[in-house]
Amino acid sequence: MKIFLDLWWFFRLEKKRYIIGIVMLITVTLLELFVPYVIRIIVDHGTAKTLTAGILLKWTLLVFISGILVYGCRYVWRVQLFGAAHRLGQLLRDRFYQHLTKQSPTFYQRHRIGKLMAHGTNDIQAVTYTAGDGVMVIVDGLIGGIMIISTMVFFIDWKLTLLAMLPMPIMAWTASYYGKLLHHRFKKAQEAFEDMTEDVQQNISSVRMIKAFGKQDSELSQFKKRMNQIVSTNLSAARIDALYDPTIFIITGVSFLISIGFGSWFVLQGKITIGQLTQFTFYIGDLIWPMLALGWLFNIIERGRASYGRLQKLLQDEEPIIQVSQPIKQLPSGEVKIYIPRFTYPNSNLVALQKLDLNIFPRQTIGLVGRTGSGKTTLLRLLLREFELTEGQIRLSEIDHRHIALKTLRVAFGYVPQEHMLFSTTIAENIAFGYPAATPEEIEQAARDAQVHDDILQFAQGYQTVVGERGVTLSGGQKQRISIARAILLKPEILILDDALSAVDAKTEQQIIQMIRQKRQDQTTIIVAHRLSAVEHADQIWVFEQGEVIDSGTHRELAKKSGWYQQTLLRQQTLTEGLEGRR
Amino acid sequence: MIFRRLVRYVQPHWRVFLFAFILLFIATMIEIGLPLGISYYIDHFLLPKHWIIREVLLFCAIYFGCQVLSALLLYKQEIRFQKIAQSIIRRMRIEVFSKVQQLSLAYFDRTPTGSMITRITNDTESIRDLYVSVLASLLQNSIFIIGVLVGLFILDPGWALTSLVLFPLFYMLIATYRKVSRPIFQKMRSKLSQLNTHLNETLQGMSVIQVFSQEARLYEQFRGLNQDHFQLRIKGIQADALLLRPATDFLWILVLIVILQFFGWQAIHAEIKIGVLYGFINLINRVFEPLQQIVTQLPRYQESIVSAERVFQLLDQQDLAPQQLGNDKISIDKGLVEFRNVSFAYSNGELVLDEVSFCIEPGQTVGLVGHTGSGKSTIVQLLLRFYEPTSGEILLEGKPLARFSEQELRTKIGLVLQDSVLFHGSVRSNIGLDHPSITDQQIINAAQLVQADPFIRRLPNGYDQIITDGGTTLSSGEKQLLAFARTMALMPKILVLDEATAHIDTETEELIQQAMIKMRKDRTTFIIAHRLSTIRDADQILVLDRGRIVERGTHKTLVNQGGIYAQMDQMQNGIVVG
Repeated sequence: MKIFLDLWWFFRLEKKRYIIGIVMLITVTLLELFVPYVIRIIVDHGTAKTLTAGILLKWTLLVFISGILVYGCRYVWRVQLFGAAHRLGQLLRDRFYQHLTKQSPTFYQRHRIGKLMAHGTNDIQAVTYTAGDGVMVIVDGLIGGIMIISTMVFFIDWKLTLLAMLPMPIMAWTASYYGKLLHHRFKKAQEAFEDMTEDVQQNISSVRMIKAFGKQDSELSQFKKRMNQIVSTNLSAARIDALYDPTIFIITGVSFLISIGFGSWFVLQGKITIGQLTQFTFYIGDLIWPMLALGWLFNIIERGRASYGRLQKLLQDEEPIIQVSQPIKQLPSGEVKIYIPRFTYPNSNLVALQKLDLNIFPRQTIGLVGRTGSGKTTLLRLLLREFELTEGQIRLSEIDHRHIALKTLRVAFGYVPQEHMLFSTTIAENIAFGYPAATPEEIEQAARDAQVHDDILQFAQGYQTVVGERGVTLSGGQKQRISIARAILLKPEILILDDALSAVDAKTEQQIIQMIRQKRQDQTTIIVAHRLSAVEHADQIWVFEQGEVIDSGTHRELAKKSGWYQQTLLRQQTLTEGLEGRR
Repeated sequence: MIFRRLVRYVQPHWRVFLFAFILLFIATMIEIGLPLGISYYIDHFLLPKHWIIREVLLFCAIYFGCQVLSALLLYKQEIRFQKIAQSIIRRMRIEVFSKVQQLSLAYFDRTPTGSMITRITNDTESIRDLYVSVLASLLQNSIFIIGVLVGLFILDPGWALTSLVLFPLFYMLIATYRKVSRPIFQKMRSKLSQLNTHLNETLQGMSVIQVFSQEARLYEQFRGLNQDHFQLRIKGIQADALLLRPATDFLWILVLIVILQFFGWQAIHAEIKIGVLYGFINLINRVFEPLQQIVTQLPRYQESIVSAERVFQLLDQQDLAPQQLGNDKISIDKGLVEFRNVSFAYSNGELVLDEVSFCIEPGQTVGLVGHTGSGKSTIVQLLLRFYEPTSGEILLEGKPLARFSEQELRTKIGLVLQDSVLFHGSVRSNIGLDHPSITDQQIINAAQLVQADPFIRRLPNGYDQIITDGGTTLSSGEKQLLAFARTMALMPKILVLDEATAHIDTETEELIQQAMIKMRKDRTTFIIAHRLSTIRDADQILVLDRGRIVERGTHKTLVNQGGIYAQMDQMQNGIVVG
C-alpha cells in the first residue's frame, strides 16, 4: 500500500477528479445492488400470487432509471479516474524528460539509453496503471465487496452468507498467487522479446556486412534459436494465464452450490423466501469481481511500487553541472588560460590529462594533434564543462569558467563533435538547431561556408529535405559538413572542430579551412585533426601524448624540431611523396 | 483476403486445432448445461418441496463433477490454442526474417531500418494477439453464444426469440464504437510513437543539445507532444466509457427489463416458472461476457489486421538480392576481374555508372579515385553483387558474375568498409564471426597479419575481451584493425577496401599500411581512397568522374599526364609541404 502513500502528492493535486471518480464508483456499486433486489420482489410476489401489473411496471421502471444512472456514473468515474491517471503519466514524462536534459555525460555513463527509454515508457505506464486501475480496484475490491457482503448479511441471512463466502478468500489468494507467477513469467517472455528485437536491430543495421560476409544463414539459425526461446517463455506464461478462468469457475461453482444447497434448506425451513435465495445467488455472482480485484490489487501495487521506485531513483540520481550562485553572464572573449595539473575521469584511475599550462590568445587558431586517446577530446570536454575539473582551472577572459553561467559559456562555444549527430528533421532546421530564429539566408550562408550548400541543392527538397530514419540518408562527409554549418551559424567566440574533417575529401577540407581563416579572423578556433594538413595554418599547434602537451609551436617550428610532429609530417609526406623531386 | 491468408497458417495444425475445438465444445456444453440444471432443480425439487437429501446430494455431486471437468477441458483447450498460435508466429517470424535476408540492398536503401525491425518484431507480435486473443476468443465466444441461444430455446422458445433483439442492438453499438474510436486511437498511437522517437533522439543527441543550449526548446516540443497525447488519451477514454462497458451493461439492463416483464405477465396470468426465470437471467448474463469480450477485442483485431497487411507486404516483396544463375560450382581461385561497359542507375533513374570497362589481372592492385558520388563505391557494390548492373557485364575469372554462388562470392571477396560495425561479443567472435570453419589459430593468424595481435593481447581479456555496443572501448583505429582481421580470416582471393583508412590516426594508419602490403600479396585488391597516398603503388589507378572513367594508368603515368589526377595529387602534396 506504500505506493499509494508515495503517490499521495498526486492524489492531492488531482483531488477533485479522484473524489468525483470514487464517489461515482461507489454509487455504481450501490445501484447495482438494487437489481437483484427487484428480481426478489417480483419472484416473491409471483410465488405469493400477489403480482399485479402496477407492481411490475413500477419496479421495472425503477430498474430502468437505475440503469440510466449507472450508465452516467460509470461514464463519469472512468473519465475522471483514468483521466487523472494519464495526467500523472503526462506529468512524470515531462519531469523525466526535463531531468534528463539537465544531466552531464557522467550520468549517461551510468545509464544506458536503452534502459532510460524503458524507464520512460514501461515504468511510467506501470505507474499510470497503478494510479488509475489500482485505485479503481481498491474501491471495487474493498468497498464494493464490503457493500455486497453487508447487504447479504443484513438483508438476507448471515449464516448463509458465511457459508457461501467460505471459498471466496481462496479465489483472492489464487488470483494474487497466479498474478505473481504470471508477472515473473511475462517478464521472461518480455525479455526474450527484447533480445529478439536487439538481434533483429543488429542484423538489419549491419546488413551490408552480413551480406558481404555471407552470414545470412548463420544469422537465420541464430534467429531460430531465439524463436524457440520466445515460444517456450510465452507458453510458460500462457500456462499460468490459462489457469485463471478454470479456477474462478470452480471456486464460484462451489460457492454457488453451497448457497443453493443450504439456501434451499433455509427456504424449506421458512427462514428466507425463494426470492431472497434468487437475490442471494445473484450477489454471489457479483462478488467474483471484487475478489479478483483484491487478488490483482496485490500485483498492481507491487508492480507500481517497483516502477515508481525505479523512476524516483532515477529522478534523484543527479549529475548536473553545478552552477555557482551568482554566475557571470557576460560573454567571454576568446582568451583562454588552461591550467590542469592532473585530470582523471570520474570512476576511473587512468590519468586522462596532466601538466597542462596553456594559453590561447584572442583570435588565435589552435591545432590539437596527437594519437588517439592522447587527451585531445578530453581537453575539449573540459573546456565545454561536460566534466568538472578536479584540479586546476580554466580561465576565460581571466574568469574561472566555473563562475560563468553555463548558458553563457555554451553561447561562447560552437562545437562540432567527432560523432556527427543530426536530428530527424529538415536540413534547414538541423543547421539552425542552435539558433532556430535564423533566416533562410543565414542558414544558406552557413551551409555555403561549410561547403555543403551544393550537396543540399542536389536533394529534391533542398533545405527542406528530412534527414534520418524517415528521410534521406546522408554520407558521413555530408553529416560532418552540416554539423560544421550548424556550429558556424552561431558565429561563436570559440569554435571547436573535434576531428570534424575526417570524412571530407582533401579539396573540401582545404576549402573549409580557407573559409575559417577568412571568416573567423576575429575569433578563436580550435581544431583537432589527425591530418596535419588541417592544422598547419594554426597559430599554435599543441602535440598531445598521454595526456600531456609534449610539444607546441607553429607548423614551421614543429616541422624543424625532431619529434612526433616531424615524424608524422614526414610519414604523411613520404606517403604522399614530394612532387618537387619528380617535376 | 488478409484474413484468409491468416487462416491458411492454421492449416498445418488442423489436427490439434480440431482436438482443441472438440474440448472447447464439450466444455461449453457443460457450462451451459449447469444453469439449466439449477433451473430444473428449482422448478422440480425446490418449489414442489420435493426435497430428498440423497437426491439433492447426488445432484450436487454431479453438478460439481461437471464443473471440474469443464474447467479442466477449458484449460486444456486454451493451452492447445496457445501452442498453435505460438508456432504460427514462430513460423511467420522466421519467414519474414529470412525474407529480409534475401532482399536486395536497394530495398534496404529505400526502407528505414526502424520500420523493418517493427515488421519482424512488433507487427508479428500484434498478429500473435490476433491468433491468441482474437481468433481463439472469437471462436470460443461464438460457440458459447450459440450454446446459450440453444439453452434459452430449451428453457422457453418465446422468450428466447424476443431476446434475439439483443444482437442487432449490440451490433449497432459495436459499429458506432468502431467508427468513433478508430481515428482517435490511430492518432493516439502515432502521437505516442512521436513522443518516444523524440525521447530517443534527445537521448542520442544529448551532448549536442546541451552544447547548443537547446534543452528548453526541445523540452517545450516534448511537452507539446505529451499534452497532445494526453488530450487524445482523454478522448479515447471518453469513447470507451460512452460506448464500451457502460453501454453494454445498460443494454443488459434493458434486456433484463424485457425478461422481467415477460415473466411478470406470465406469473399474473398463468403459473409461475421461477426456475426458468432464474436460468434465463443467468444465461443472458453469460452471453454478455463473450459479447463484451468480442467488443473489447475489436480494436485489437483492427490493429492486427493492419499489422498482418504490413507483414504480408514485406513477405511478398519481390525486390530480391541478385540470385545465382544456374547451379555451377565455379570457384574463384585466381582473382581475374573484368568490367565490360557496365552502367548502373538507381531506381529513381539517377545514373551512377556510365559504360565503365576495365580488366584487373590476378594479384594486381587497383586504386579507385574520384570525388564523392563519382561512382567508386558503386563499382565495388556491383562487384560484390549487392546490386545488378543496369547494363553491361561483369566477369570473374572470365565467367559472368551471376553464375557464382553467393557463398563463393562472400568468402572469396573480402570487404572492409569505412565504418566497420563491431558486434557485442568477444574479439574472437568479431574476427571469426562464429564461422564454424574458422579455427582459433586462423583467427590469431589473421590478427597477426593485420598487426592487430599486439593490441588485442594488451586488452584485459585478450581475445576473449567483450566488445560493448559500437565498440566504444576501442579507438577507431583499433576497431578498423579488427575489421581487417575479420576480412582476412576468410583468406579472400579478392580484397576490397572501401575508404578503409579514412577514420584512422596516423600511427594506426602506418600499421595498416604495413598490414595492407602483406594483405595484398597474392590477392587482387581494390582500394578506394580519398587520400592518394594509399594507392600510390597500385598497378592501375582508375580516376572516376560522374560515373565515367576519365583517366587510367599508374601513378607515374597519371602524374605525367597532367590531368585531374595530377591536379589532385599536387593539391594533396601541396597541403603537406606548403
